[in-house]
Parts: sequence; C-alpha cells; structure tokens
Amino acid sequence: MTSLNAPAASGGLVFDDEFLRKLEQLELLARKIFRGLLRGEHTTSRRGRGLEFSDFRHYRPGDDFRHIDWNIYSRLDQLFLKLHASEDDVTLHLVLDASASMGFGEPSKFDHARRLAAALAYIALHHLDRVGVNTFSEGLGAALPPIKTRHHMARLLTFLGELPCAGVTRFDSALRAFATRTRNPGLVILISDLLGAGDIQDGIEALRHGGHDVVVIQLLAELEIDPPLDGALRIVDAETGDELEVTVDEDLRRLYQHRLEHHLQDVERFCRQRGVEYLRASTAIAFEDVVLKYLRQGVHLR
Amino acid sequence: MIELAYPLALLSLLAIPLLIALHLLRPTRRRIVLSTTTLWQAALKDREPRVGLRTLLRNLSLLLLLASALALGFALAGPQWLTRASEGADTVLVLDVSASMKTRSGIGRTRFDLALAEAAGILDGLPRDGRMLVMTSGHKALLRTGFEADRELLRRALARLRPGDEVGRPREALALALSLLRGREQGRIYFVTDGAFGSDVDPGSPQVAFRVVGAPARNMAITRFDFRQELASEDRFQILMAVRNYTDAPVVVPASVSLDDRVLFKRSLALAARAEETLVLPFTGRARGRAIGRIEVDDDLAADNQAFAAVNADEPLRVLVFTRGNFYLESVFEAMPNLDLVMRDWSPAEDIARLALSYDVVVFDGIAAPRLPPGNFLLVNSVAPGLPFSDSGQLIRPRTLVRGQSALIGDADLTAVRIDQARRVIIDKPVPGLQRLIWSKETDLALALLDDGRKLVYLGFDLARSNFPLQAAFPLFFSRSLEWLRPRGDGFVSTHIAAGSTQTIPLPASETRVVMHTPSGKSGTLEAEGNPLLFDATADAGIYEYAVGEVVRNFAVSLTDTRESDVNNRWTPTERREETRPAGNAAQALVPLWPQLLMLVLVLLALEWLVWTRSRGNA
Repeated sequence: MTSLNAPAASGGLVFDDEFLRKLEQLELLARKIFRGLLRGEHTTSRRGRGLEFSDFRHYRPGDDFRHIDWNIYSRLDQLFLKLHASEDDVTLHLVLDASASMGFGEPSKFDHARRLAAALAYIALHHLDRVGVNTFSEGLGAALPPIKTRHHMARLLTFLGELPCAGVTRFDSALRAFATRTRNPGLVILISDLLGAGDIQDGIEALRHGGHDVVVIQLLAELEIDPPLDGALRIVDAETGDELEVTVDEDLRRLYQHRLEHHLQDVERFCRQRGVEYLRASTAIAFEDVVLKYLRQGVHLR
Repeated sequence: MIELAYPLALLSLLAIPLLIALHLLRPTRRRIVLSTTTLWQAALKDREPRVGLRTLLRNLSLLLLLASALALGFALAGPQWLTRASEGADTVLVLDVSASMKTRSGIGRTRFDLALAEAAGILDGLPRDGRMLVMTSGHKALLRTGFEADRELLRRALARLRPGDEVGRPREALALALSLLRGREQGRIYFVTDGAFGSDVDPGSPQVAFRVVGAPARNMAITRFDFRQELASEDRFQILMAVRNYTDAPVVVPASVSLDDRVLFKRSLALAARAEETLVLPFTGRARGRAIGRIEVDDDLAADNQAFAAVNADEPLRVLVFTRGNFYLESVFEAMPNLDLVMRDWSPAEDIARLALSYDVVVFDGIAAPRLPPGNFLLVNSVAPGLPFSDSGQLIRPRTLVRGQSALIGDADLTAVRIDQARRVIIDKPVPGLQRLIWSKETDLALALLDDGRKLVYLGFDLARSNFPLQAAFPLFFSRSLEWLRPRGDGFVSTHIAAGSTQTIPLPASETRVVMHTPSGKSGTLEAEGNPLLFDATADAGIYEYAVGEVVRNFAVSLTDTRESDVNNRWTPTERREETRPAGNAAQALVPLWPQLLMLVLVLLALEWLVWTRSRGNA
C-alpha cells in the first residue's frame, strides 16, 4: 500500500491526518467499487477493444457488428455484444471549479470538492493509468499534469491543498479552453456548484465534443439549498460583489427554492439527454459517503 | 345621530403625519455574503407579476394604519350614538314653570299647556320599564317626583304643576338634572320650555334635549316698581315705575298706581316699539298699605301687568328704661330714629313680665333687676338673679380692655376707654348662648346672652364713671345692641322681593310661630326652626301678610324682570340639541361608541400587522 503520510501530502488544513486515514481505507473500498463497475453497467465506445473478455450486453443500434457474439445468437436468437476490458490508457481529468462561490458554506464547497477529488484520484489511480487535475474560474487556472501511479498521490494532495478559490465563474469559456487544450480525451469529472455566469451547457458540450466522457458532480452548500435567511438583508454576490436589497420571507424563500430546483433540473435534464452522468451532493454529506453511495450508484468509471 | 363628548380629542389626529413619516422609514438591512445573487434576483423577478398586489399591500398597510389612527382619535373624542333608550334608562323631565310660561299661545292655551302636552308625549314614549323623574325650573329647581316607573303617578305629578310668577333660572335646574344622572350615561334630560332665557343656559351636555314650545307673543310689562322715602322727610315719598313695550309697534298703555284702594296716579303712556319709560312720581302723605302698579293692556302675558309693594312705615322700637337718671343713656336713645322711649325709676317685680311683652326692649340702668322673664333686656351696671353670671363686688380701674369678635362690638376702638369703677362678675356656669364682648384682666365688662326666649346684653360699669360715652364706640354699641335684641330689618318703608326668592322674617325672642296669608287666599302657620324665619313659598306675585304674635306685617312679591317679560326673545336650540322627533316616540339614549371603535382599532392593527408581514419580502 502506498503511504500517504508524507508531510507534503497534507498540504494544509484540507487534508489532515483523519482525511488521510479515510483515504487509505478507500483502497479496499475501491476494489469493491471497481468489481461492480467492471460488470459493464456503463459502456463506452472503447469498451471491447482489449483482448480480455469482460461481459455481455444486449445489442443496441449503432454497436459494432464485429462484437456480436454469434454463438449466443444461434442459441438464443438474440443479439448480444461480447465485451472486453479496454487496454487503452484512460486519463481521469478532475476539473475543479475554483471560483469564489466555491468558498461558500461550512465546510466550504471548495474543501469538499478537493477532498472528493482526492478520493476519486486515489480510487482512479488504483485502477486507471493517469489522473490529471485542472481548475477553472473565469478561465483555466492551476493544473496538475496527469500522474500515472499512486506514488504521485502525495504530489496531487499537495497540489490540491494549495489551490485557492477566487474569481468569477465562466463555464463556457473555461471548459471550452480545457477541451481545446487537452490532447488525450478521457473521463472528465467536473466538480462545481454550477452557480455563476456563462452557459453551463455550452461548457459541458465543449467537453463532450472534445471526446471526453463527462461526469458532473454538482456540490451545493446546505445554506444554498435551504437558506435560513429572514428579514431585511443586503446580500452580496461572493463572485461579482454585486449587492441586492431584499426582504426575505417565507414566500420569497419558496420562490428561491423553486428557482434553484428549476436550475438543478435543467442541468440534470441536459446531462441525461447528453449521456453525461450527473450527481448532486450537499456539503452536509461526508465525501466518503458520496464516493461509496452516490458515485457507485450513478457514476460509471472505467 | 352621532355626538362627541370630547371634541377636542380630535386634535390627536394631528399625529397622523407622524405615523406617515414613521411608515416611510426604511429598515436597516443586514449585510450577508452569498455564493450568488442570481437565483435571488430570479426569485424576485418571479414576484414581478405581483408588483401591483405588493404595492397595494404596502399602501394597504399605510391605509390600515391611518384608518386605525383615525378610529382611535375618534374614539378618544367620545362619540355617542343617539338611539332608542335601552330598557331601564332613566329620564329626567324638567318643566319650565317660570312666569313666561303663562304666556298665551293660541286660543285658551298657554305655553305651559303646550309644555304639559309635550311632557305627556315624552312620558308616553318611555321604554316599557323606563323610569322618569319630574322636576320644575323656576326661581329654584324643585324635584316633584323621584325616578318613577309608575306612569299614573308621573301623570298626576304633571297635572299638579302650574307656572308661577318667578324668574326662571334654567341653568341651575339643568345642572341639578345632570347631577341626578351622574354615572348614568344612558340617561336623558328633556327640558320643556318656551326658551325665554339666555343662550348661556345650554350646559353643552349631549344628554340634554331641549323641547321648545309656544308661539311668538305680544307683551307689555311693568319692569320696575318701588316706593322710597325722600331724605330728611318722613312724609314725602317717591314712586318709581318703569313700563316697557316688548312689541315691534308703538302702543299706548294706561298705567296707574294705587295704595290700598286709593289711586295715587293714573296716566296713559305712549311707548315706541320696544321702548321703556320710567316714571318717578312724588307722593306726600301717609305711606302705609298695599301698593299696586297696573297697566291696563290686553297682551299675552298678564303676570307682568301689575307689580306690588308693601309700604310699611316702620314700626317704632319701644324701649322701657328703668333708671334714676342717666344723661348719656337718654341722649343715645333719643338720637336713634323711630324709637319710642319710656323712662321709669321703679316697677313692681311682678310687672316686669308683662312689661317685657309690651316693650321691645327693657333696660335696667343701675337698678337691681328682678329675675328676668322671656324678653329682650339691656342691663347697664346691673345684674339680675338667675343668670349664668353673678355679681361679686366692685372693681377699681380695670386694666387693659380686650374686645371680642362679636358683631355687637365689631371693630370699635376701645383703646381710649377708661373706667373708674366696674362690677366684678363671675361666670357661674358656661352656657352656649353666653358670649363675652368686652373684658379686662380682672373681670368681664360686657356680655351677651341668648337662652330660652330671652335675649340680654350686659354692660358692667356706670357710664357716668367712665369716659365710654365720649367714645365713638358708645352709640355704636347701643345701636347694635338694640338691633340684636329686637331686629327690625333695614327699616325701609317698602318691602318687596322677586317672585320665588326668600323673604326673611325676623322674630322676637319669645315667638316661634308665624301665620302666613298668601295672595291666593291660602293661610297657614309656620313653625320657625331658627331666627329669622326664611319663607320661600313666594312663587305667586302679590301681597303676603303674616302675623307674629299680635304684630301684623306685609311684604310684596312681584315679577318685574325685563328678561322674563321679554317673551319673544327666545333662545333657539342649536341643531345638535334640537330634536325633530315628534312627541310620543320612544325616548332616546346616548350609546357610547368608543368600545366598538377601540375594537375596530385592534382589528385594523391586526390586519395591518398581517399585511406588513406579507409585504416584508418586498425589496
């Protein structure tokens, strides 16, 4: 097992000893996760290129005829594809929203995102070849080039621990820049609150057009889901600094939640339509629970 | 109809601009940083369709606040709703019985007849178990019944009423009526009157309703009538008589004055419209009897067409003096007017009682007095047995005279009085009627005693052995002593009072009964509870004759009042007071509205709070 107790790995308050202990426990959990994932619940165009048999699944229009198992067809009169584990190098691109709005919440969404990214990176490194980390706000921010083995995990943690969060979010331009700049398509896990300026859908489309499999994890603080606000307020936008005078009452809270729900549903619907995995999580949920319960249910990693 | 008990409270509505200013104050907003304001802006936009409603709510909040302030201000003003009297509400019926109510109003009817009809209507309109009190307003306000629910009893009380020749004083009557209804907000006062009085009568209470009866009338009146004696002449008099025309047309008024049945004067007076003529007529001769002034006119009010005066040449004061000769005493008595003086040096003791009844005052000067019977006595340097003080010898030059507070001494200056010799007296037993007048360090020098049927003034030294007769206090002391021993009033020849007022009848110490004969022919015996006797049953004008013992005297009662005779100058109730409701309807009561208004204020404030909480979401 790779030791994560190197001092540089903590990188600050984000990754304390307790977090690192939890991360080490994920090694065992990761094995379980990937056993389940390898049953082929999530197929990609690249699945089946390798030599090692992986699984069968029903034929769907558009699948390559060459992978149909004709023996089964002759016996059952049904078309099944014979799946093989990929032998390609798959890169996990962890794309973190580092805008100022991510600093909101207690704990902050950004802390939560970093822990989640670290956990995913750890799990991915257990199975995948390469993990890279990119941040964005108005444009692309700090980036960690893809690392290949768990030996570089400490470096990744240090990088994550030292990331700042500031600036205004511009999803479309930032993600388009990422898609353009990234040469090797892979699995992109976008971790963001998806709150900010710019067209989110354009950004996600740009990732897909870049040949990436995209997973969107939307992180929201409890204060955003059910704001405990009341009375006459002057609310300040953490990113733009814009101020808005508002007197919050039950009615306005209900309208706000309705708007939030509408926004979340729009994003989710868009993702589903585009074959993009979408997961919504609150900072109130421990990141290990997100990894173990939510990611396992929804996210198809390879 | 709504009436305000405290209209000045409406000034509290001036606070409304302050409320508006407070309403426009914006709350201090709390600053808070959020990840984004986009969703809040969107939420606010979602409320855009409700902007109209929101504005309405905001204005509604202000409107409700203003409405509650208005209601509160109005509640403070004590609004009262004039409505049917609730069961059990008390009513006070005040009936004007002043002389002007005798004014003819239509054929065979007077204003008082109309007032009685109005009163009967009010009585009929009382609630089923409502109570009513009947009182009259003349020179005095008199209660004729208590609060009674018995209609027959009230009708009988009304039937017994009749107007007098009095000058009305309705203000006092209404004050009494209001005091009777104190604490009974439902109570109602009906004042049935002809309105012949000043506007200051209205007490301004919403409980009082005026019912004015009677039509305009034509009247001429004697407004002044008097006899007076000319100065320094005992047989020359002047007759004063004033006649006023209250109509708007000139009239010729035959006027006359008679004394007993002898006509002293007769003349026709030409009076311009609303003009008055005053006559001063000289008269020489014996002035004693019943004087009557008359005007021979056929107007609507006859009560003021004659005036009365009892002309009594004052009876002389009969004084009997037992003395061996006292120049100072004789001089001071002879200087007093209208005094019959009899001097004696001795009488048998058994005659004293008879003499005391025959003379107004009996004086013992330096002569031992016997035991004194009821009567009026002046003891000068003499002490009688049976008194609460007794003689204990002589005293040489008493020192430092001290004067008491008695009216017999008044503020007489005694500082220069020197007494060579005085009687030393000892007060054996203090009695309530014994009053110290003058005393020195050693003894009492002058005393006054009032006991059962007996009045006595004691002066304890020989006048000839003092310089008291040379002092100004000397005649003052004896004049006041005689006046106290036998009061004679003002001693003037003419006695008359206004109808309804009180006649003072001084009584001798031995008399407590007065036999009274009124102008209407009624007679009765009055028992005096004090001296003088106060007689106030003088509602009717005319000559009143009364007898005290064997002495018969008169006094006259007249109307002679310019305001009361002015029967057309009538006060009109304001619209607020005047009721158009015909007689016979149910009695009305004032229902206070402030509790309902206060409830309205609370409801409005609750609504305002509700609206305010709903509109808090407005930016």
